[in-house]
Amino acid sequence: MHERSLVQTLLKQVQQIVADDGGGRVKEIQVQVGDLSGVEPLLFEAAFAELAANVFSEECGLLLEVVPVKAECSLCGQRFEVQNYEFLCPVCGRGPVDVTQGDQVKLMSITVDSEDMVEGVKS
Amino acid sequence: MNQRVLTIRRDIQAEQKADAAAERERLGQRGTLVVNLLSSPGAGKTALLEATARHFAGRRSMAVLVGDLETDRDAQRLAPLVPVAQLTTGGACHLELPLVKRGLQALGDPAVDFLFIENVGNLVCPASHDLAEHLRVVLISTTEGDDKPGKYPKMFRTSQAMVVTKLDLLPHVPFTLEAVTADALKIQPELEVLSTCALDGRGIQEWCDFLEQQYQEKIESVYEPAGNQ
Repeated sequence: MHERSLVQTLLKQVQQIVADDGGGRVKEIQVQVGDLSGVEPLLFEAAFAELAANVFSEECGLLLEVVPVKAECSLCGQRFEVQNYEFLCPVCGRGPVDVTQGDQVKLMSITVDSEDMVEGVKS
Repeated sequence: MNQRVLTIRRDIQAEQKADAAAERERLGQRGTLVVNLLSSPGAGKTALLEATARHFAGRRSMAVLVGDLETDRDAQRLAPLVPVAQLTTGGACHLELPLVKRGLQALGDPAVDFLFIENVGNLVCPASHDLAEHLRVVLISTTEGDDKPGKYPKMFRTSQAMVVTKLDLLPHVPFTLEAVTADALKIQPELEVLSTCALDGRGIQEWCDFLEQQYQEKIESVYEPAGNQ
């Protein structure tokens, strides 16, 4: 169950990014999880629900998007969506192919409510 | 209310991957090939390492970092043969780089030819963590079933070699080398496939030859001009 450790990594980064950007209340975190990331979305959401409550004083939402695996043939350049984890080029049938999407957990965006911080930031 | 959206679009493991790349470079430069061994529990990682240590004895230097949830039983088995450090995760299902660095320090950061990391027995989580290895090897024993690659695609996709173990049991189990190889190659067409039996020594020569070849490709031919001339 490494989702917990990934969520801890995520939350630490969010705190740092928001602090560097002038602070504020984190309202929502948008995350993209690939089918080849090794992450189980349900476990990730459960770990987030538990750990985010310890980090943020107010409720913070998680918008989790699961994306398919995409690849590009390194021989003929064909781009395609990988079906059933078969990493063979559908056009030339040879490969090898490079994964272009779906093997990562990506922090996409953070929505921050900066109501209390505006004056402090501008000064 | 003043709401703002910060657009990030970044791999949350980017920092760990950069750390791993730097450590891989450091170890490579001083002549160490790091091999991360992954498998289900009981596939035979320790037995393969024992056979490897015997084969390399007097010819190649090696050290082992052993990851386990609890106990140092595997480390005790290997200790008479090679320098070994235990990494106990205390229940965590995989190793991470800081633990590997700590283990390396515990060994005195030796400049060995091969540093093996015996990962926690698990075909899922360890696939997502770069431990600064130059070579990732997944083991699959003949008793596990030849359909495993398709069921754990990330593990096989991110490995460069697959070692089938316990060849001696092949006559007794519904497992064929053809099926497991075909299943694995769909996921990773460039996978090197080897088969071994640590008990009777079958395939150990080929496995060690493969390691030598990897050492040549990933260490000697990359770093030697700067280091040893």
